This record gives sequence, structure tokens and C-alpha cells, in this order.
Amino acid sequence: MTRFLAQTSPVADSTTSVVTPSIDFLGLLPVLLLTAGAVLLLMFRSLIPPPMNLSSPMKTSSVKRLFSFETAWMFVLAVGGLVTVVVQWFRVQDEGPIAVFGSEFASDGLALFAAAVILISVAAVALLLPRFCEQAQIKKAELYVLLMLSAAGGVVMTGANDLIVMFLGLETLSIALYVMVALNRHGLMSIEAGIKYFVLGSFSSAFFLYGIAMIYSTTGTTRISGINAFFADYIVLRDGVLLTGLALLLVGLCFKVASVPFHAWLPDVYQMAPTPITAFMASAVKVAGFAALMRVIVLALGERAHNWQPAVFVLASATLLLGAILATVQNNIKRLLAYSSISHAGFMLVGVQAASHEGVAAVLFYLAVYAVISLGSFTIVSLLTGPDGDGDSATVASAAGLASRKPLLTAAFVVLLLAQAGIPLTSGFMSKFYVISAAVEARSFWLAVVAIVSAVITAFAYLRIVVSMYFTSDIPATADDGIPSDVDTVKDCHSDIPVAADTGKGDNLERPLTAAHLTTLKLGIPAGKGDPLTGAERLPIGAVVVVSVAVVVTLLVGVLPSPLVSLALDASANLLGSIP
Amino acid sequence: MLLNSFLLLAGLLFCIGVYGVLVRRNGIMVLMSVELILNSVNINLVAFGAFHGDVGGEVFALFVIAVAAAEVGIGLAIVLLMYRNRLTTDFAEADMLKG
Amino acid sequence: MSDLLVAQNVFFGLIAVVMLVSAVRCVTTRNVVHAALWLVLVFAGSAALFILLGSEFVAVTQVLVYIGAIIVLFLFGVMLTRASMGDDASVASEKRAMAALVAVLLAAVMGLALFDSFSDTRLVIDEPQRFGVVSDAIFSQYIVAFEAVSVLLLAALIGAIVIARKD
Repeated sequence: MTRFLAQTSPVADSTTSVVTPSIDFLGLLPVLLLTAGAVLLLMFRSLIPPPMNLSSPMKTSSVKRLFSFETAWMFVLAVGGLVTVVVQWFRVQDEGPIAVFGSEFASDGLALFAAAVILISVAAVALLLPRFCEQAQIKKAELYVLLMLSAAGGVVMTGANDLIVMFLGLETLSIALYVMVALNRHGLMSIEAGIKYFVLGSFSSAFFLYGIAMIYSTTGTTRISGINAFFADYIVLRDGVLLTGLALLLVGLCFKVASVPFHAWLPDVYQMAPTPITAFMASAVKVAGFAALMRVIVLALGERAHNWQPAVFVLASATLLLGAILATVQNNIKRLLAYSSISHAGFMLVGVQAASHEGVAAVLFYLAVYAVISLGSFTIVSLLTGPDGDGDSATVASAAGLASRKPLLTAAFVVLLLAQAGIPLTSGFMSKFYVISAAVEARSFWLAVVAIVSAVITAFAYLRIVVSMYFTSDIPATADDGIPSDVDTVKDCHSDIPVAADTGKGDNLERPLTAAHLTTLKLGIPAGKGDPLTGAERLPIGAVVVVSVAVVVTLLVGVLPSPLVSLALDASANLLGSIP
Repeated sequence: MLLNSFLLLAGLLFCIGVYGVLVRRNGIMVLMSVELILNSVNINLVAFGAFHGDVGGEVFALFVIAVAAAEVGIGLAIVLLMYRNRLTTDFAEADMLKG
Repeated sequence: MSDLLVAQNVFFGLIAVVMLVSAVRCVTTRNVVHAALWLVLVFAGSAALFILLGSEFVAVTQVLVYIGAIIVLFLFGVMLTRASMGDDASVASEKRAMAALVAVLLAAVMGLALFDSFSDTRLVIDEPQRFGVVSDAIFSQYIVAFEAVSVLLLAALIGAIVIARKD
């Protein structure tokens, strides 16, 4: 009828037909804060450039390193976003999941849980960035701005109840990341990693998009709750296009979460990206990717689970095994952690494959736990010193004897590595336990077996680092040998300050050094206080805060998992749309 | 008109684009192939929109055009950066495995 | 009515042939500038298809953005990176064969799927979609997507400047 009217009296139609959706500002607030914050920061920094002394590392005090204006701004905004997420969480608990903005956006358990993890990792990365910017001589606020926009894209992606919005969120997240990856100081290597990421990322986005078009062809809507309702009401008999679309969607999303046949970009990108950005990718980007994957696969296409479960089964097994095996043969620590993040993605896929509320809760729990662990681990990597004087080049061999030089840091690293390996009393064990039990409940016994085998294999990779740090020759031993390599090793413990390295060498020559002496000399760590006499580098406070919080949370969740588990269960109980 | 004729055309363009991404080594040409794929998606979307009598397909196509423009912008900036650093736009030279 | 249908089919055939030939040339030609020009034909062909499908607004946007902006951007890219003006470096023939195999397999799977689902579905387009309907949809049902696109473009803008700026 309206269509008929539209033909006869176009003017009347165009003035009356628009029904604008009500705007739920609370639902939008996390995204709004990040975006507006990024724009304001950009304007502020272009009007008032930062003081010039940032160029020399020695002049800035450690206090200033933590509280650079950008860091404080980003941290406050992330925490503010977190508060709005918590307020929404209570609303969802009271009123159930709701769709806002004409049902383009979801305010449900999955969206809020994932958004909270993303915002937490933004806050953590905010603390890590000043040190990187200082080392890389980036004086402008661009990295902060891009990171906030990227995180805003991630939050949009987790909350999207429309495939269009999800795609746009994904692209915002990715485009900012392509740039940030290429910004590291390795010059060409970083640019190449950026190119690789860009080509494969845009390629996979195109697949994702084609998949959306195919799904749209079958259902006639791009709303995820609408697709969910469509499959609950109709049975598609001639489903060739639907299945092709499903496959393309799966390929696109598996590129983003780096499941095995589509993982080739991840090791290079993780290794070459600035370490804070790597931490962001391993935590926030993974969360956004899996939240989107679960929303598309488990929620929208839950009725077709019998179609995609076998595919995810194969993807998960391949990811688990290949990620684990390749992790064991890596020598570079950052690269090793990158491969291990592939095998972690495999564990999460195990939970996705279950296609149940328990599975979703287990994946959310795993995501939260792994986000904390990876933030801590990559922060520690950024504090290590490899042959090139920075964490990016640290190898398993160059970590030898670290325990005697940096005992607290090493202990923290060991806790996080054991958590990644899934040793009991750490959060990693609990997360693996819940994922595997979800798989068992979904009767995917073989997948559970593969997951356990993979956990055993990766444990070997982590233990290699632990053994290297604790049980291989440390400084005094190599100093006795007098081979040229010991100069490098001594420089190692002094980080990148040549003056300090010289005094260290002098010390070595004049009097025998015990491990304990070295420890007190170089790194009387507590809260990052360096030794003022030797001028050894202080640990940056931001990194210390992140690592200690990560370790405490990891241990706490390992001992007392129930609060986080019940949060994850609440989240999976309040989903917009139903899991059949 | 058959719906399938549009969809087949779009599918063929998609496959040509995939071939291009896999074969091309020059960064700009890889980008062009990606654009070809995005364009084929647009044909699909508009055809499905017309098929369902739903304006969503067209709206989505408009957004895809915007995204394509953004991607080309970033892509060319990266190609430019690479060119400035090593005077080539050959992705494959940089151990660019298309995995 | 049937005249219109015949005309639509004839034009579709013409456009499709032009687009396919241009697309194939675009991914096989060894000259970057030629590839960009072949791409113009593909984009123009899609704009024509959009008019055939009754989506005038998308067709106009396609011409403005793709041909007016993106192709020009490509040509600027070619100009700024002079080294690649000439021939694309040769690619091993096995790699070409592999890529062709992937593409043909993909095409076969898609073709089968399409014939499975839409073997004889007809499209009846007797009036173009009005601009007003599209804009109403963008600013009501798809308002969040519209805002998200603005953030996306902002990110791309900042990113491109950050990358391409000479320090």
C-alpha cells in the first residue's frame, strides 16, 4: 500500500515514511568515548606539541614515563568505557539482552563481556606505549589515536547485531592495525610485516564480505538476530549458496583469528609489530575476532551447526597441533609466543565447535584469561634484551641465566608461561579445563583428546624458555670463559645503555661476581627502582604495573576461578538470539 | 533477467580477482585485484537487494564502496612507504608468501 | 514489457562480456597503467549493471568514487612509484597454474552452488529504486553503520597520513 502511494504522491511519502530509531546512548558510550577521545587527542596534540625532551631517554623520569598525557588520557577513557560497560551489564542482568539502534547493535552478555576485555587491554597497552614511543622516537600521538580507533572498531565488532556493522567494525580495527604494525623501528622488516598483514587482511575481508552477501541472499536480512529467527522458522532446502556463504564467512573470520590454514601472517606480524601492539593484537583483537566468530557462527547460523561443526572440528585440530608443533621449534621468544597464540586460538575454536552455551562461556573465559596472560607475557618480552638490544630479538638462548639477573621478572615470566602451558593453580589450567569439558559435553571426544595432546606439546615449548632462564649458564660462568660472547651477555643485563655496560664490564674484570651480587647490582627490582649508583636501567613503571597485575590475576583466577566463571556463564546466558 | 546471470558474473569476477591476488607481485596490482573482488561483492549485494525488494543490499553496497576507498588509501600509502624504503613495489621480493 | 526484457538481456550480455574481458586483461596485463585502465572498464560495467538493476544511486556513487577517485588514486600511486611503471616482474608458470587452478575450482564450486539455489529465479525490475528510499534507510535503519563508516574513514585518513608522511 505504501509502495502504491509512493508512486502516486512521492512528496507525501518522502516526508512521512522515515522512522528514526531511538538512540540508546548508554549502549554507544564505550565506542563514543574511544572515538571522541581519539579525535580530541589528535586535535590537542596538533595544537600543543609535546615537550621536545622526549627524544632522549635519559632525561625523562620514570614517573613521567608512566604519566605521559596521552597515556593518562587513554587510560581514563578506557576505564570510563569500562564503567559504562558495567552499567550496561547490570541493565542486561535486569532486563535481559536488548537490541539497540533499531536492532543494529546488541547490548548482551557476549558483547559486554568482550567489550570489557578489550577496554581492559586498551588500558594496559596505554601503560606500555610511552616507553615504546620513547624508544622509537615517535613524538606525536598517532599511535595512541590509532589504537583507540582500532579498539573502537573492536567494540563495534563485538556488539554488532548486523553483519554490515560487524564488517565495518572489523575494517576499522584492521585498518588501524595495518598502520600500527608498519610503525615499528625495524624499518623494512616492519613494513614488510605490515604489507603482508594488509594484503592477507584485505583479501580475507573480501571473503568475509562475499560470505555476507551469500547469507543475505538466502535470508534477505543482514541482522544477526533476524538471521537467527529466519533459520528457526524456515528450513532451506536448496542450500548451495547458503553453504558457500557459510564457508566464505568461516574463511574470512579464520583469517582474522589466525586459525591454521590461514595463519601464515601471524608469526611475522606479531614478531615485527611494536611489542605493545602485539600485546593488543593477542588480547583485544583476538577477543573481537572470536566474539564476532561466535556471533556469526554460533548465534546467527546456530541452526546450521551440523554444517559448520565438522569444518570447525578440522580447523581446530589443525590449529591446535600445528601451532603447538611450530611453537616448539622457535628460538625467538616473541615468535614462540606468536605461534603459541595460534595454538591458543585452537583451544578457543574447540569451545566454539561445541556450539552450546557452555562452549560460549568457556571461550569467553578463555579469552579473558588469555588476554591477561598475553598482555603480561608480551610486556615481559618488551623488557628482555636480545642480541640486538631489544625484546624483539630475544631468543631462548639469550634468555639464559636471566633468573640470576632479573629474579622477579623471571619469576613473573615463569608464572605466565606456566599459565599458558595450563599448569594447575593457574588461570590457564582452568580455561583449558572448561573448554575441553565443553567439548566433551558436546560429544566431541576426539577434539578434546587433540586439545590435551596439544597442551602437552606446547608445555614443552614453554619449558624450554623456563629451563633456559633458570638452569643454563648465567653471567659468572660465561664471564669465566672470557670469550667475546660474554661482552654481549653483560650488555644484555644493562639493556640499551652503553655507559652502564662499560661499568658492568669493569666490574667483571676487577672482582668476581656472584649471581646474588649481580642481582642487587643491576636489578633490585621491586616496583622498578634501579640502582642509582650503576645507572642500570629502571624497569618502566607502566610495564611493572601491567606485569604484576597480570601475574596476580593469573594466580588468583587459577585458585579462585568461580567469580570469573560465573561472569562468563552470565554472559552466555544473556545472548541476543538463541542457541538451538 | 535471471538472477543467476548477475550472480555468475559476480562469481567469475571474484575468481578473476582471487587469481590476480595470488599471481600479482606488484603491490599496486594486488590492490587492483582486491578492488575487483570488492566490486564483485557489490554486484552480488545489489542483485540480492533487487531480488528481495530490500533496500539493505544497496545500502551495504554503498558502505562497501566507502570501505574500498579506505583500503586503497591505506594500501597505496603502504606501497609508497615500501617504495621509499627500497625503491620497489614488488611484494614478492620481500619474502611475501601468500599463505 | 517483453521488449524491455529483451533489451535488458541484450544489454546485460554486452556489459558482461566487456566486464569479463576487461577483468581478465586487468589481472594479466604486464603494464600497471593498462591494468588501471582495464579496471575502469570493469567499474563502468558494474555501474551499468547497477542501472540495469534499478539502483541508480549506487551506480552514480560507483562512478564518482571508483572511477573518479580510486582509479585516480591508483594512477597517482603508479606515478609516485616510478619504478613499477613498466612490466610487472615475471611470475613462475607453476604459480600461475596453481592460482588458475584455485580460481577455476572456486568458480566451479560457486557455479554449482548458484545453480543449486537460484537455477531459474527471475528478477523483475520495472522501476528504479528512488534515491529517497536509500537515504531514508541509511539515516534510519542503518544509522549505526553510517556512523561506523565515518570512524573507519577517519582511521584510514589518519593512518594513511601517518604512513606516507616524510619525517
